[in-house]
Amino acid sequence: MSVRTQGGDRRSAAEILSGAKSVATYLLAACVVLGVWWIVAHILYAVRGYSVLPTPAETFRLAITLRGDLAPAFGNSALRFLISIVVAFVLAVPFGLVVGFSRRLHQYVSPLVFLTYPIPPVALLVFLYMAFGTGEAVRVFVVTIALFFQLLVAAMGAARQIPPSFVTSVRSAGATKWGLYKHVVLPATLPSMLTAARVSVGLGITLLYIAETRIGAVGGARSGLGVFIKVHSHAPAEYELSAVVGLALMGLVFYTALELLDRWLCRWRHVGGGGGT
Amino acid sequence: MIEVADLSVAYGTGRRRVLAVDRVSLSVPTGEMGALVGPSGCGKSTILYAVDGLIPPTEGTISVADEPVHGVRRDVALILQDAGLLPWKTVRQNAELALRIQGVGEDVADILNTLGLTGFENSFPAELSEGMKRRVGIARALALHPRVLLMDEPMANLDSLTREHIQKLILDLWKSLRFTALLVTHDIEEAVFLGRHVFVLSRRPARVVEAIANPEAGTAAYRGSDTFVQRVRYLHELLGGVQ
Ligand SMILES: Nc1ncnc2c1ncn2[C@@H]1O[C@H](COP(=O)(O)OP(=O)(O)OP(=O)(O)O)[C@@H](O)[C@H]1O
Ligand SMILES: [Mg+2]
Repeated sequence: MSVRTQGGDRRSAAEILSGAKSVATYLLAACVVLGVWWIVAHILYAVRGYSVLPTPAETFRLAITLRGDLAPAFGNSALRFLISIVVAFVLAVPFGLVVGFSRRLHQYVSPLVFLTYPIPPVALLVFLYMAFGTGEAVRVFVVTIALFFQLLVAAMGAARQIPPSFVTSVRSAGATKWGLYKHVVLPATLPSMLTAARVSVGLGITLLYIAETRIGAVGGARSGLGVFIKVHSHAPAEYELSAVVGLALMGLVFYTALELLDRWLCRWRHVGGGGGT
Repeated sequence: MIEVADLSVAYGTGRRRVLAVDRVSLSVPTGEMGALVGPSGCGKSTILYAVDGLIPPTEGTISVADEPVHGVRRDVALILQDAGLLPWKTVRQNAELALRIQGVGEDVADILNTLGLTGFENSFPAELSEGMKRRVGIARALALHPRVLLMDEPMANLDSLTREHIQKLILDLWKSLRFTALLVTHDIEEAVFLGRHVFVLSRRPARVVEAIANPEAGTAAYRGSDTFVQRVRYLHELLGGVQ
């Protein structure tokens, strides 16, 4: 009894420690980014003789003044991104896993996927714009389609990498096709899927920025960080920078959320000596 | 009773066709243990998979307890090479996998206790020693009280102490539960120590080179005896000729 409690305590202590460590590394990274930004701003000022790049302090001062505009912009952009990544995940993962897990399906479907995969979603923007106008749906759609392909390709790959011994062991226990998905395919590929989602956060935010700045921003459309940048394109650089900081923060939020999800859902990867992180 | 008659198994088709098992016949009477020995890659696992109903025979027939095998059966369990545990499931979840899949609401506490795994129910495979993993694999196979237990090298890649421990464990379980067993091993001494019927296989495609009756198997005293030593030597010569 006491041994087990002790083990439990040690584990949670280790978890807290690693949690504190990752918070510390994030803080350190933030300091480095701000430091570099500050140095570059000063160098540019010295070289040019006038302010090219506002300093972090100037930017944050403005951001606080404009928080009434920036906060809803952040919220709207984050909501668009959240909808996109959830919809893309829910559509791409089951489809990709089924295709990747079946040799026959993979043979027929993969050429189709790899032909369409390299088309940059931005290239479709003009057509979408003409076909569906400048509404909310088109913005979300562009981001969704980009994330969908990223996750689809990752899911197809992950399903093909599943060691046959896992499949054999579950089949030997009498599993049906659905049982194979439940006990092997889904849990075996979940870590790769979460990693793929994390990796595509950057791409998704880039596309969100493009969608928000390119597609008719002002007329009636709801705000967003990209929209904010477009609206203030003639204002001093602090305006744009404060929204860029918002985009970076947004990426960090989603990235961290996905990492926490991985720690929670794939706890088995983070125990024992090997594997994990 | 396990009855394999003229079993042939081929993988792939056309030019990529590989014959893994070639007209193998063998039988293990109810409640006894048979051992398959043969060079690596000869088709031992394939034979077990076919008996488990995972692979359909290309030719020949298999029956267990006088019923033909067509697909996976509840009364036949398989312990996979390297235990085949799912890393995302805890010890308990791994052990009760077949129960959950078959919708049996039984508990695995007893079998985990028998195998000395109490206290590790919530550990993941990555947290276990190699010997413990093998024991979880055994627990999983026995959870459904199978009539037939198929074991694919359950002692491979273990240090000699753990190996002897697992051998003894399997022997004790077999004595108390009296399942019919078919054990695959590439260790000749192990085959002679455990297998009342030893089937020596050729290189791929697997053929039965000789079936050896070994009635003394399964007793602790047998290991040091002259008969044991002679049989082991004989098998060495036989397999030496095969390889
Ligand atoms: N899924 C498969 N597709 C094609 N060939 C296969 C497949 N599985 C096994 N084989 C081939 O069949 C032969 C027998 O394989 P099997 O795994 O039954 O041998 P084994 O005696 O168990 O080997 P080991 O001692 O390595 O466990 C091998 O030559 C292998 O290459
Ligand atoms: Mg094998």
